[in-house]
Amino acid sequence: MIELEGLTKTYAGKDVVQDVSLRVESGEFGVLIGPSGCGKSTTLRMINRLIPLTRGRIILGDEDVTQLPPEQLRRRIGYAIQSIGLFPHWTVAENIAVVPGLLKWAKSRSDARVDELLNLFHLDAGEFRDKYPHQLSGGQAQRVGVARALAADPEVLLMDEPFGAVDPITREVLQNEMLRVHAQTRKTIVFVTHDMDEALKLASRIAILNAGRLVQYDRPIELLTQPADDFVNDFIGKADLGLKLLSRRWVHQYQRQAPLFDDTTAQSTGNQHAWEVDAQRHPIRLHGGRLDGDGTRQRTEVNAEWVATAEMPMKEALSRMVWFRVMALPVIDAEGRLIGEVTMHGVMGRQP
Amino acid sequence: MTFPSSLDDRANTAGIVANRVLTTLLVAALIGAVVLPFAAMAPNRLVSGQAISVIEALLPWQWSGLGGLALALALCALRRPLPPRRAHLLVLVLAPLWLLLVAYGLGDYAHRALQDASPAARVSQSAAFWVLVFCPTLMIVDALQRLHAGLALRSAYALPVLVGLAALFAGGTFDALSIMREYANNRGTFAAEFRMHLLLVGSALGPALLIGLPLGLLAYRRPGVRGPLFATLNFFQTVPSIALFALLVAPLSALSDAFPLLDALGVSGIGATPAIIALIMYSLLPIVRNTYAGFAGVAPATIEAARGMGMTPRQLLWRVELPLALPVILSGLRIVTVQAIGLTAVAALIGAGGLGAFIFQGLGQYAIDLVLLGAVPTIALAVVADFVLQILVALSRPAGAR
Repeated sequence: MIELEGLTKTYAGKDVVQDVSLRVESGEFGVLIGPSGCGKSTTLRMINRLIPLTRGRIILGDEDVTQLPPEQLRRRIGYAIQSIGLFPHWTVAENIAVVPGLLKWAKSRSDARVDELLNLFHLDAGEFRDKYPHQLSGGQAQRVGVARALAADPEVLLMDEPFGAVDPITREVLQNEMLRVHAQTRKTIVFVTHDMDEALKLASRIAILNAGRLVQYDRPIELLTQPADDFVNDFIGKADLGLKLLSRRWVHQYQRQAPLFDDTTAQSTGNQHAWEVDAQRHPIRLHGGRLDGDGTRQRTEVNAEWVATAEMPMKEALSRMVWFRVMALPVIDAEGRLIGEVTMHGVMGRQP
Repeated sequence: MTFPSSLDDRANTAGIVANRVLTTLLVAALIGAVVLPFAAMAPNRLVSGQAISVIEALLPWQWSGLGGLALALALCALRRPLPPRRAHLLVLVLAPLWLLLVAYGLGDYAHRALQDASPAARVSQSAAFWVLVFCPTLMIVDALQRLHAGLALRSAYALPVLVGLAALFAGGTFDALSIMREYANNRGTFAAEFRMHLLLVGSALGPALLIGLPLGLLAYRRPGVRGPLFATLNFFQTVPSIALFALLVAPLSALSDAFPLLDALGVSGIGATPAIIALIMYSLLPIVRNTYAGFAGVAPATIEAARGMGMTPRQLLWRVELPLALPVILSGLRIVTVQAIGLTAVAALIGAGGLGAFIFQGLGQYAIDLVLLGAVPTIALAVVADFVLQILVALSRPAGAR
């Protein structure tokens, strides 16, 4: 848990961060967001005192750390930045082991920790341990940067637009990885971004800042449905609000039982549709359930792209339905067995 | 039906020469060998001698050997028949052979020419000799460049060539040459002056580093200091060396007169003290500037990350900033070392000693070979120091970037 109390930063008589108070509970993924110059980065950097704070208190766990020497505080807080800043003269392993080294961990302990973290980020320890930063791709370097921030098992992880400088595809992969790592480690995270989609995807709580003030601090759904003022309203963007909402809902929330196709009764009428499955319950094809042509008799082969999983955001499931021009999507488990379906009607039938 | 192949031939004749540098060097060497005198034969060390051409000086097997090597090298410069890589490798074999043959030929000529001459007679090398030495040296450098040879390979290659030259020296090939006669006459002082030269360079570089490194760090940390500091050091650099040596004489004499303690410590207006002070002043600018540039070149993200990880300023300096700045700092040291070795030769003018002493003696006596006795080792020293520091710079690069 980390709590900021009345955090204020004054430069030349002007408050760039003004009286920001918020609390990120243990295991929560908090995101600070706002337009350029809103003070989100300054706030983050005041937490580990890279920027000295003018006023306010920082509480880590149940300890007031405002007066702690900055170096000691920073060794308890992970820090990952957009430009990564890996040490070019050290190997990946040496980079990750920096904070354990500063904390004087035994060699064997920090070696084991390096391997554990490389595995956590799906980087083969044998291959990557002795590489130098210039031999890594942008995505790999950023993974190592986050692994380094997590090395000494910090109480809080601060991330300053960590995926701002990578290409969109890598960014999406890294975001998914971050969600997985967060789910696995239950770290308390404070994450700065200016990208609302990224915030909605990652955050369990979002703090919107404007001109140095905290405007709203809420869960993503509440932020979308109950914006505190016009600024939040504008910042979220009304145009694709429906889609943004769906990006915070999951397939399992819309999932219902899938009607199975029965050879003997082989008839479906109207909008009805049915799933044909094989002996292992893998969906093979959809009977009916299409808008184009003679919808009732149409058969659509299931392929790997137009299925959903229970953890998929509903926005993505909807996108697949639109793309493949079907009214329903099979929901499958890890073994590819049919466990339910989501339908266009289901999406519309639920009040956002 | 032969149309395509004839087109092919034409394309090839258009670029018959593949290596223009090698061709130019060969032509220069040949012209030099024909036009310029190879050696000079004089009745004594003070008068200028009679010019001896390459053909006169060398035995038939020697000059035909040189001609054969030149032909083979010319083949290496052509587009065909050798592929480029093989041609460069062949140059690396032929050029040193040429170098050693020229050196051996000169020494051998001196022995033969002096056999029935008066004991005062001297044989010296002349312009064509230098041309015939420099051209193959440049060919070697060029070939190494074209092969993208790394430092390790260069060192490994230089070794047998140097061993060959050392063997010629040890075998007495050059003993009859005038410069070696000068060496023999000054054998006792040569070693002492050589040591003095090294001592002067060392006593200047040590303090220059001790002062320059902190000043460079200061310039990096305090932008306000940077301007005035660099302006001052730049000013030192613009004072001509001879003038600076001379300007230091008066104040230092006054100081040592006023404080007997300084006098007792050996501080005086002439000799080593003003030389060392002047050398330090000249060395400061490159050291301070490169130290500053080295630190300024460390990526801000790296420093931010190091601070964010919880490094203290001291840990940041020793573990991150200094190792990353080191290659640039050592490049500064390399500049300064080579510069100091050269400037120390001038310091002999104010009685500091060193190899420059031979140069000024030789100038005074109009004995060119005595000048060379001071100059050639000075150059050799500078080349060796440059090479050693180049290796240090390479070793200090981040392991991953080597």
